[in-house]
Amino acid sequence: MIETDFSTTDLLFMLHGAGVTLALTFWAVLGGTLLGLVLGLLRAVSPWWINAVLGAVLDVFRSIPLLIQFILANSFKSILGLDISAFEVACVMLALYTSSYCTEIVRAGVLAVPATTRRAARSLGMTWWQDLRYIVFPNALRVSLPTWTGLTLGVLKDTSLVLWIGIVELLRASQVIVTRIQEPLLVLGICGLIYFLMSFPISRLGAHLETRWREYD
Amino acid sequence: MPADRALRNPRDVSAMNYTFHWHQALEALPAMLAGALVTVETALLSMLIGIACGIGLALAHNSGNRLARGFATTWVETARNTPALFQIYMTYFGLGSLGIFVDSYPALLIGISFNNAGYLAETFRGGLRAVPPTQMRAARSLGMSAPQAFRLIVLPQLLRTVFHPLTNQMVWAILMTSLGVVVGLNSDLTGVTQELNVRTFRTFEFFAMAAIIYYLITKFVTLASRLVAARLFRY
Amino acid sequence: MRFNVLAAAAGTACLLLSPLALADKLDDIIASGKLRCAVVLDFPPMGSRDEKNEPIGFDVDTCNDLAKALGVKAEIVETPFPDRIPALVSGRADVGVASTSDTLQRAKTIGFSIPYFAFKNVVLTKKGTNITNYASLKGHKTGSVTGTYEAIALEKDVKKWNDPKGSFRAYQTQADVFLALSQGQIEATVVTSTVAAATVKAGKYKDLVIGGDAPYDIDYVSLIALRQEYGLINYLNLFVNQQVRTGRAQELNTKWVGGALPELTIKGVYY
Repeated sequence: MIETDFSTTDLLFMLHGAGVTLALTFWAVLGGTLLGLVLGLLRAVSPWWINAVLGAVLDVFRSIPLLIQFILANSFKSILGLDISAFEVACVMLALYTSSYCTEIVRAGVLAVPATTRRAARSLGMTWWQDLRYIVFPNALRVSLPTWTGLTLGVLKDTSLVLWIGIVELLRASQVIVTRIQEPLLVLGICGLIYFLMSFPISRLGAHLETRWREYD
Repeated sequence: MPADRALRNPRDVSAMNYTFHWHQALEALPAMLAGALVTVETALLSMLIGIACGIGLALAHNSGNRLARGFATTWVETARNTPALFQIYMTYFGLGSLGIFVDSYPALLIGISFNNAGYLAETFRGGLRAVPPTQMRAARSLGMSAPQAFRLIVLPQLLRTVFHPLTNQMVWAILMTSLGVVVGLNSDLTGVTQELNVRTFRTFEFFAMAAIIYYLITKFVTLASRLVAARLFRY
Repeated sequence: MRFNVLAAAAGTACLLLSPLALADKLDDIIASGKLRCAVVLDFPPMGSRDEKNEPIGFDVDTCNDLAKALGVKAEIVETPFPDRIPALVSGRADVGVASTSDTLQRAKTIGFSIPYFAFKNVVLTKKGTNITNYASLKGHKTGSVTGTYEAIALEKDVKKWNDPKGSFRAYQTQADVFLALSQGQIEATVVTSTVAAATVKAGKYKDLVIGGDAPYDIDYVSLIALRQEYGLINYLNLFVNQQVRTGRAQELNTKWVGGALPELTIKGVYY
């Protein structure tokens, strides 16, 4: 059929890279969401001065290219002499990056619940935590989830930048194969297809949730 | 006796086995600022191209033509479901194998513009949807021609809706230009920093300086856009 | 009485722990059971990948030999050319077996062993560019891998020639340079004779030919380690010496490069 040097071993090599991509995304989103939940809640209920400081600190992660954040984190870790792998550095940095966006999402979600609803809940005798759990959380989730899936999608794509600090994820694996067999269109085409197959379900889910829950606003 | 890896060099009382050479980074500041200028220019250019293509794609998506709609959907879905770095890579290496030689700067520009257009298409679609069709009809019934109505009635309202996403996309574009270094670009801020890094190996100092410059640029853009918005959408 | 016991215990602890205080990179490698070598894998025959994408080459085998001598497992950390030294400095690799030219500029940052290989540089170009020797590079588009020995020398010469039609482009990896050459983005590059021969023979990039020798000094390459790790550097020096005198270096040379092992000493100077 089509003459190519691309073999099943190469495909497995790329799929292994895709696995690394997914692992990175998983840890980054997990860490970032947990941190974002805490910080977002903090930002939603704090007085203006704590809010401003927190906002400024988190803003740094959104104002510097992620590539440079990886490079700085990697070189700083070696200056300190820490013995952690590049993968762990990438997970931590991506989690911090995710949390900076997640904080905003959570904060917007919490603030989207009308103050009147929350006051009504409190006047019914609920404690602050009960109000949070039964009133704020479901409503905030409805508002935030579509944006959150968009964030997850973004993180999945941003994992491609870790190739710069030496981690062999999907794009780097494709690059390795292209170097060997010199068929960039084919290999990169397959690479794009794998990215698409990983991202598409997430983006469709987000769009689906968005349309389904928009009616309830 | 197993060696404790963390206790690398107890001769140094501080745990850091590294002396910072900040003066080298400061000396390189002019070169880095020149790179920053290229970064901003590239981002602006890619935004202009992205907006033009984005509007086109939004209109194509809303049109009845199946071919146009299919083309627009493919573009948008590819741009949104694959990494920007991948798109730049594909432009740089993929087109080359077809015989079209793309240097790293055009590859970066095309890649970012492609990405911008994909995201902005969705933004403009949402924006167009947000302006009620009654506005257009009312304008026409007042005697305006279609382009006039679009320019004087629909566009200002559209602009208001899309302004914030546009600013976000501009900030994204500035940050995305840093990816040029992966395909060998050495004229933008990250490219210049990498060049300096490769010659002196003072990674932390140079990239920390670059990070500060990026932060200042994005803060400036955000502030400027907020001022423009306050002025433009005053009423 | 109690105090004496305490003092004795403290003294014994200090004695037992003193090896810890002198632990260096060499000890760390042996203790961890793993040697991480930075190797360049787009530079045949010193380093490349086979059809199973496994690392192979002269440098890869040298790394394996080093690991065997230390009694640990070898782990190949792939680094493109500009990333060899950053990988060492950032701790991603313990040593660099990556055909690193021993320039004085680099010696300010990292430590070199004695040379373990030597390269001659040649001009690599495409058919039809009419470049038959180094001088005819003037006025042509050239390129090389940023920060390498050949790149620095070539860029200097291009600047000296100052021809409006001539240019120099720096790339991030060796593979990018070959790709650029085969696609016509650059018309010629200067590389080691070994990689030129290997690339032309492999035939992956069409129409590449060697266009004459480059008048650079012989390019001696060494193993690299962190500058302050004297223990490790001394070990590497002995390792290189043993590789040559046991005939292993010649064995690897025959396997990967062919011919006699290049002369690794400089006449008239001790080191």
